[in-house]
Amino acid sequence: MKKLGFCIAALLAGSTAAHASTLFMGSYPDKMLVMDEATGAIKDRITLASGLPTSMRLSNDKAKIYITTITTSGIEVIDTKTKKVVNSFSLNTPTVRYRFNGGVPDPTGRYFYTMIQKFEKLNDRYTVSPQMFGVIDLAKKAVIRTADVPDEDVRNGAGRGNYMLSADGKTLFLIRDKVLVIDTGELKVKDRLEFSKPEATGIEGVSFGGGVETLRNPNEYVSLFNAQDPYIRNKIFGVGRFDLATKTFAFHPIGPAPVSGGMAGLQVSADMKEGWTVVTQEKVGNKRCEFWHIDLTTNLVKNKAEFPCRTRFQFGLSGDGKMLYIYGASYDIEMYDTQTLQHIKTVDLGNDTTGAGMIITQ
Amino acid sequence: MKHLKPLNKKALRIEETISSTEEDVIALQQKPMHTPMGCSISFSPGWEVDAGGGTAGLCQPAERDIYDCYVTCFWPVQVPDHVNYSPDWASNCATAAKDWRSLDIIFP
Repeated sequence: MKKLGFCIAALLAGSTAAHASTLFMGSYPDKMLVMDEATGAIKDRITLASGLPTSMRLSNDKAKIYITTITTSGIEVIDTKTKKVVNSFSLNTPTVRYRFNGGVPDPTGRYFYTMIQKFEKLNDRYTVSPQMFGVIDLAKKAVIRTADVPDEDVRNGAGRGNYMLSADGKTLFLIRDKVLVIDTGELKVKDRLEFSKPEATGIEGVSFGGGVETLRNPNEYVSLFNAQDPYIRNKIFGVGRFDLATKTFAFHPIGPAPVSGGMAGLQVSADMKEGWTVVTQEKVGNKRCEFWHIDLTTNLVKNKAEFPCRTRFQFGLSGDGKMLYIYGASYDIEMYDTQTLQHIKTVDLGNDTTGAGMIITQ
Repeated sequence: MKHLKPLNKKALRIEETISSTEEDVIALQQKPMHTPMGCSISFSPGWEVDAGGGTAGLCQPAERDIYDCYVTCFWPVQVPDHVNYSPDWASNCATAAKDWRSLDIIFP
């Protein structure tokens, strides 16, 4: 019987190895870390010629990762299979600098849509452009089209929104406090979709959070959302899905939001049956953090566990859904079991990680 | 309105007020926010004080925080400016908390 047990264990171990996924993380000073998720070993440190990575975007076919860098305002494209840089360039020249952070490639992989600012050194002065929608040609390695962002849509931290592109590449969606619908041909805002008071849902104050990575797909933007009802101001949280084709927003409430604390993201299993979040209470030296493990079929919290949290951190889920990751503002990843919420191990990455987050590929 | 000329001091002040809003000199606090390139307009309190005025809420150790300040200009006086004049400050130091001695020396 013992032998049979060993055989099954060996088979399971084998199958895990066969499905081992790769984790990409942006890090200082100019590296993309490539980690084998099964072992936690760093397999490669890809040097990014244009500098420090600040955002990453996985293409819809999951074949390429598009990285924006800040040191020389560049873009790097990494092939997820070969794990090699296949395109790399900087937009800066001795007299012109650009600033942008994040964006989305079009379905052909030729163009990259983002929000951008241009700073030009002239003979007698510097000029600073207004915030612009910009199109970067990844073949010509240049900004080929821009259009000023309307005054009413200008925000601090211009490009720090969530970008989505329609399947036909004709419509760009910038998801922030509201959803901007932008025609990619003219780079003009065609519509502004307000979800702060959605009709017929009985709730208001809806705000988008960061995307739920495990549920990312080309046709919709899936996000944590917080909302409250208009009568007794009961705050709730849940999953929101913005459908790019129909431009409609569907709500899936999960439960009451923490009263005095905050929530650091939401991770959801691929089958949508389990969810995890980090609830923080109090601030600075009194800050306390808990994992909440939620059964999404019954919307009940299954278990909670306090863990020693950092001042700043990011929250992630492993590719196989078995580990929770706490990382950021450091050189390591703390890994916790998704069922027991207990600490498993801490992996030393050897490089401080940036705010670019992580991308996991199978 | 162009054919009208102010005849008294009050009318002159009104004209000056209106014309001042049409100038291309924009106050930093004016909406929409006009943010010049660089870190010179960041005025966060001294290195390093947390949001509560103490140090208990800082990264432990504080070196864990140094790179994000370096890139985002959070303490622009105390930390070199990655974007403008010190892009190579951390080129030889992958992990600030362990290897801070490899950070470059900056001379203002």
